[in-house]
Amino acid sequence: MPVNGRKRMVTITINKNQYLAEEGEIFLLTAMRLKIDIPHLCYEKALDPYGSCRLCMVEVVTCGKTEMTPACTIKVHNGLEILTDTPEVIKHRNILFELYLAEAPKSEVIKEMAAKYGVTKTRFLKKIVHDDPLLGKCILCGLCVRVCSEIMGTCAINFINRGPFTVVNTPFYEHNPDCAGCAACARVCPTNAIVFEDTEKDRVMRSWSGTTVPMMTCSSCNKPFAPEKLMHEIQSRLDPQINEDIRNMCPECRRRYISRREMKIPIT
Amino acid sequence: MKIQSARDLESARREGLIKIQPGRPRIGVGTSSCGIAVGGMALYERMKKIIQDEYPDISLVKTGCIGFCKEEPIVSVSIPGKSLVLLHKVQPDDAERIISLAMEGRVPQELALCKIQDWDHITGSLVHGGGFDGIKDYDEIPFFANQKKIILRNCGLINPEDIMEYIGTGGYFPAFKAITSMEPEAVIEEVKRSGLRGRGGAGFPAGIKWEITKKASGEEKYIVCNADEGDPGAYMNRNEMESDPHMLLEGMLIGAYAMGVHEGLIYIRAEYPLAIERLMVALDQARSLGLLGKNILNSGFDFDIQIATGAGAFVCGESTALAASIEGKTGRPRIRPPRLTEKGVFGRPTDLNNVETWCNVPVIIAKGASWFSSVGAKGNTGTKVFSLVGKVDNVGMVEVPLGTSLNTIIFDIGNGGAQGRRVKAVQTGGPSGGCIPVRLFDTPVDYESLNKVGTMMGSGGLVVMDEDTNMADIARYFISFASGESCGKCVPCREGLKHMLLILNRLIAGKGTVKDLNLLKELSETVQKTSLCGLGQTAPNPVLTTMQYFKEEYDELLEA
Ligand SMILES: Cc1cc2nc3c(=O)[nH]c(=O)nc-3n(C[C@H](O)[C@H](O)[C@H](O)COP(=O)(O)O)c2cc1C
Ligand code: SF4
Ligand code: FES
Repeated sequence: MPVNGRKRMVTITINKNQYLAEEGEIFLLTAMRLKIDIPHLCYEKALDPYGSCRLCMVEVVTCGKTEMTPACTIKVHNGLEILTDTPEVIKHRNILFELYLAEAPKSEVIKEMAAKYGVTKTRFLKKIVHDDPLLGKCILCGLCVRVCSEIMGTCAINFINRGPFTVVNTPFYEHNPDCAGCAACARVCPTNAIVFEDTEKDRVMRSWSGTTVPMMTCSSCNKPFAPEKLMHEIQSRLDPQINEDIRNMCPECRRRYISRREMKIPIT
Repeated sequence: MKIQSARDLESARREGLIKIQPGRPRIGVGTSSCGIAVGGMALYERMKKIIQDEYPDISLVKTGCIGFCKEEPIVSVSIPGKSLVLLHKVQPDDAERIISLAMEGRVPQELALCKIQDWDHITGSLVHGGGFDGIKDYDEIPFFANQKKIILRNCGLINPEDIMEYIGTGGYFPAFKAITSMEPEAVIEEVKRSGLRGRGGAGFPAGIKWEITKKASGEEKYIVCNADEGDPGAYMNRNEMESDPHMLLEGMLIGAYAMGVHEGLIYIRAEYPLAIERLMVALDQARSLGLLGKNILNSGFDFDIQIATGAGAFVCGESTALAASIEGKTGRPRIRPPRLTEKGVFGRPTDLNNVETWCNVPVIIAKGASWFSSVGAKGNTGTKVFSLVGKVDNVGMVEVPLGTSLNTIIFDIGNGGAQGRRVKAVQTGGPSGGCIPVRLFDTPVDYESLNKVGTMMGSGGLVVMDEDTNMADIARYFISFASGESCGKCVPCREGLKHMLLILNRLIAGKGTVKDLNLLKELSETVQKTSLCGLGQTAPNPVLTTMQYFKEEYDELLEA
């Protein structure tokens, strides 16, 4: 609880060592700040904890008993005791890495991460999907889906099917006119599975059933610079509006335009 | 008519009693899903026609299921002043004879299963009478004799589509007592003292959950009934709702009053059309009598119940997935905390209880906590209904005090293996449970003892296996079920179960090695320890228990 507007510091124990930590903070963040290594794939600060990748599992000690819990779902409180590297944690984590190596055999990120923890091979049958729009790299952490709905408010993509047949894509695998082409999904993806490309006129979300979003061309230099729908979306939220004369300019032209105007250089 | 006073309720009771014992022959036909499946409805229609045309003096009603599903269609014949007789395996062609004999005060002897002289409906009791010396007594039938019916007190004996019959056996008197003479806190206290634990599987004390919900901040709250019942082999809840829907509604009404909640929901799978239909009828009747809706029993208390249907995904029985499903979202579990009591349906504090948990409430209020806790075992009070299925002789719904041994259930009540085969094991708790070998059948059926042998209570399915059952195959069946029902959110369950299934397939095809066996065990433990929700956490139990108790059957599968 904040005391005088400041966070209260409490004492917690990690791997038998004591530390001061901010009460209420997500334990995974505390550990990262303290440089205590915990692998994780599905946590993103801007979103609510989701707990789907299970890689951040640690042991919480209460009254002498331990319980496996994801670090991203633990909130720091006074007396919290955590073990991050017990044989139990390592054993299960290694199996999870093997599962990921089989599920996303093309992902370099997963390979490197697993190798860092000593797992270089998987005993499980590797998943092979021909023409996988996510290139055999998706680990279904759900970050793209959550960013699209919770941050952007777009919901252009979602989970399809369930269980081992779950995939992420647009509804009915069709071009989705709701997509604003913001590509936040691609930026947040931990395994770089999402592919998009900017052509002369359009942004093409290759992974999302070829969803195509027209680009806005700069009113000054005539070059495409951002998806039109995204620009309109942003502009509709601004109050007051950007001045008419620079509204549809690319950032570069806008900068040049404003500095010239300030410096009273004639605008050509 | 609205029931507004004790006098109104009493006159409704008398009216209901006259329906149950009308002073002329009354025939009841078992028309729950189990009865209908073997021709119960055809039989009912046939009888209806005959009675309409020729014997208007006979009263004919649909009843629910008395539990002995193997003997369905079961017909009850009640002759004024005489024992109620249960006829079994009745065929449409028997209709004419049953009716004409009933008119003479007789029953077809060779169809008789047993007779009931008097019956304890717990909330009331009925005396039927004597006679029919040649017919066995209810207590002489082992299937019935070893049971104790508290939840199933009315099932198969009253018409589930007529609220008056429920009131006739003393129904809605507990709700009247609670609402008009008890403080809400006192109701919660009574439920707490009764020791009633959740019947949905985990066994959390119901009274404590109620108290937490009551104390949760927020004005608008929900109570929800979990009628998702997705375990293969389990159908207790379906039968309870089809046979006696009002006990559920009354339980929820009392709970709502105790927790100060005004909105109730029954989350029920769409695959239960008959239960939904009967619940709808029951809701309408309860509303028309002023037992639901505004100003219930003239007390100023408002409460109503809506039905939410689910599309039949096993995972939607899990509390957070259930809440998401009600909200119209995909049924995917989320991390807890927050629990539903804090942040449930549409973000409001929500108390979720299983059908059977609710059904226990009226009797607790009627008979008191001490009476209730005198049944069953310490820490495991009351009774539990099980659906006894698989390769057992007496298939049916069985209600026994908690703490009863598996031996009693499977051998004394179930009469051992079907067709004289030897029983080998029993699976409790459906896909979340484990297989218990016959040598451990002295295990008492309570929450803790079952956990100790590697399985769990679950909602109450008991699937019996005999000597012809291959245990690895059983494990494969359950893993295949769980993998197909996995929501796909977390990797151990989504990918882990898939690989467990692949390994089991390899083993069963005779292509497995010792390495496969070890990997199967290792993977099972990881899925159990690291899955997000109960589905994944418990799904490996069938594999782990069969590997523990029937290791030799796995070894036999190994490649030479
Ligand atoms: C995968 C899964 C399926 C479940 N299915 C059911 C169900 O069908 N019915 C039920 O009452 N509880 C089910 N549960 C348990 C519920 O989550 C919850 O614990 C229960 O409804 C609480 O009610 P109780 O306290 O009265 O038992 C299920 C749990 C899991 C993890
Ligand atoms: S354990 Fe299975 S059902 Fe539960 S959240 Fe994980 S994937 Fe979904
Ligand atoms: S980061 Fe904690 S479960 Fe994924």
